[in-house]
Amino acid sequence: MAVLEIKNLHVSIEDKEILKGVDLKMQTGEIHAIMGPNGTGKSTLSAAIMGHPSYEVTEGEVLLDGENVLEMEVDERARAGLFLAVQYPSEIAGITNAEFMRAAINSRREEDDKMGVMDFITKLDEKMAVLDMPEEMAERYLNEGFSGGEKKRNEILQLMMIEPTFAILDEIDSGLDIDALQVVSTGVNAMRGEGFGSLIITHYQRLLNYITPDVVHIMMDGRVVKTGGAELAKQLEAEGYKGLMEELGLDIEIEED
Amino acid sequence: MAIKTKDFVSYSDALKAFSSGLKEPEWMLEMRLSALEQIDKLELPVIERLRYNRWPLWQVPNLTGAPAAKTVDPFEFVDDKADAARVIQTGNDTVIETLPESLKEKGVIFTDLHTALREHPDLVKEAYMAKAIKPESNKITAFHAAFMNSGLFLYVPKNLEIEEPLEAIFIQNSLVEDAFVKHVLIYADTHSNFSYVEKFLTKGDEKNAANIAVEVITKPGAQVKFSAVDQLGENSTVYFNRKGYTHRDSSIDWALGVMNTGNVVCDFDTDLVGEGSATDLKAVGISSGRQTQVIDSNVVNYGNNTEGNIFQHGVILDRATLTFNGIGHIVKGAKGADAQQESRVLMLSDKARGDANPILLIQENEVTAGHAASVGRVDPEEMYYLMSRGIEQSEAERLVIRGFLGKVISAIPMKSMRDDLVQTIERKLTSR
Ligand SMILES: Nc1ncnc2c1ncn2[C@@H]1O[C@H](COP(=O)(O)OP(=O)(O)O)[C@@H](O)[C@H]1O
Ligand SMILES: [Mg+2]
Repeated sequence: MAVLEIKNLHVSIEDKEILKGVDLKMQTGEIHAIMGPNGTGKSTLSAAIMGHPSYEVTEGEVLLDGENVLEMEVDERARAGLFLAVQYPSEIAGITNAEFMRAAINSRREEDDKMGVMDFITKLDEKMAVLDMPEEMAERYLNEGFSGGEKKRNEILQLMMIEPTFAILDEIDSGLDIDALQVVSTGVNAMRGEGFGSLIITHYQRLLNYITPDVVHIMMDGRVVKTGGAELAKQLEAEGYKGLMEELGLDIEIEED
Repeated sequence: MAIKTKDFVSYSDALKAFSSGLKEPEWMLEMRLSALEQIDKLELPVIERLRYNRWPLWQVPNLTGAPAAKTVDPFEFVDDKADAARVIQTGNDTVIETLPESLKEKGVIFTDLHTALREHPDLVKEAYMAKAIKPESNKITAFHAAFMNSGLFLYVPKNLEIEEPLEAIFIQNSLVEDAFVKHVLIYADTHSNFSYVEKFLTKGDEKNAANIAVEVITKPGAQVKFSAVDQLGENSTVYFNRKGYTHRDSSIDWALGVMNTGNVVCDFDTDLVGEGSATDLKAVGISSGRQTQVIDSNVVNYGNNTEGNIFQHGVILDRATLTFNGIGHIVKGAKGADAQQESRVLMLSDKARGDANPILLIQENEVTAGHAASVGRVDPEEMYYLMSRGIEQSEAERLVIRGFLGKVISAIPMKSMRDDLVQTIERKLTSR
């Protein structure tokens, strides 16, 4: 069992404090959801955990099995077991999707244990079938010219190929129609198990109808303001963020949509 | 070896002896002598953003006809390959020349230029410095016409389609002091269709000049895919002129890897003369160390409905300089012409100097044209994304660069050549 623990995390962008002390603990075998209004700092949290260069951690720790990942380079964090599916992945011409994924897998393996082409293709075909992706997408350039939905699927494909210990999925549901949402959820649910934990960031409760979380955190104004079970998401859907704020006695400006 | 330019005419007797020793036809000697007269009077070609009037380009080759004191072993660079269409020259000598019987029977000529001048003088005369590159154009072309000391001739007859690429390898012999004044002449007859790949290398460290001219002439409907990997040495100062001339409905696609290690001017031109003819020029370059390479790609649309595309991507390391000039010129009357270009330079060092310089000269109204140019660094977002999947920084950077240069690599028809280019790129990037 692995543990991911976020302790009193403060993060700034361009000297503006966005995260104001986030605490969260999860372990493999669990799926946690983070919900919160737009602009609350959900993406900031995920980017800071992964080590995006624009985000400055001013205080706190992120521990993976007791090791502070904030002291690691981005690639080391990934090889330590972290994965982040982003909202807007880069498009990189000239590198095929397949080539990229094989490089990513082999970056985790010893020189004498690199994954061969045949094993790779077998695995790739299998995962692409789950995600209902046409074969030719493997040979297309990385995300180049992919539609929004294709990019999301491609992020989940990478997740399934790389098989990290902890995956953070940042609004993997935004902009997806119901069919695509189901497909993507099938992919994530297929990963569920003893050795895998996931932190699912979403603005809407909708995704949680397909991926049932064990724990739900509500984030507002750079902090986790409430933690509960799957029923918390339902409550939020019924009452809205405004209702929840009243209950918690919070007075925060939010963009409700 | 700086030669005062006013001394060139003093070589006329030596040139006459050189020409007669090679049994050149009369017209060839006349061309040499008249070009010799002109060298002093003509100007250097203008290459935007480059001053090269002090470059040591004016070394006169050895005209005695005596063999080089030291010779190059070609098998240090090439594998033995039976029955491919292949010409290999070291210095001025042709050391390997193979052409499948089936192609010979159909009339393909693929041989060194002087053999072609003896066996097919009229055919060579039709094309040699007659359409694409002209002796009287500038100081460089006149010098070339006067002192050309070896070369290659490729002729593909009417309606012939050749599947397998024809290959030429030129190894400059810098074990000895001698100028490399090489001429490649490719003459594609009506509706012929083939690929040609060439490679330029240097053996040895002597400081030599090279004045290389490559001409491709496509008769109506002919289609030529031309690729090259240039890897001339650190002590070679080079003026490299490749020029295409297209007749009606013909096309030349260039895929050029500029991977030299010395100072080089690459003057890549195509004159789209015939109506409906087209060219697609893709070039990649890497400059490293303290070298300067300038790639000056120039497409001129003369004919109606001609299409010119320039696409050049390059990477600069260390304290090197790499400049891309992209010149799209549509002349008055070329209705329906199209001139597009994209030049991008990626700088991998603070000391590197890069330039991407688009120039559009449009003298006709009913045309389409466009350009894009940039000089920048590896995108930190792209690096972050790749690294967030576990890929190490150095590998991520290599992937981004390979991707950036990939379009040209994939345009090369011959796998061994593609691999060669990829390896050269990897070597240059890892030697940092
Ligand atoms: N690159 C950036 N530069 C400046 N401000 C940013 C940047 N990224 C995010 N922010 C700001 O940080 C806050 C939190 O944003 P974000 O983490 O994206 O929220 P969420 O994902 O919850 O919608 C917002 O006020 C947003 O405007
Ligand atoms: Mg967000």
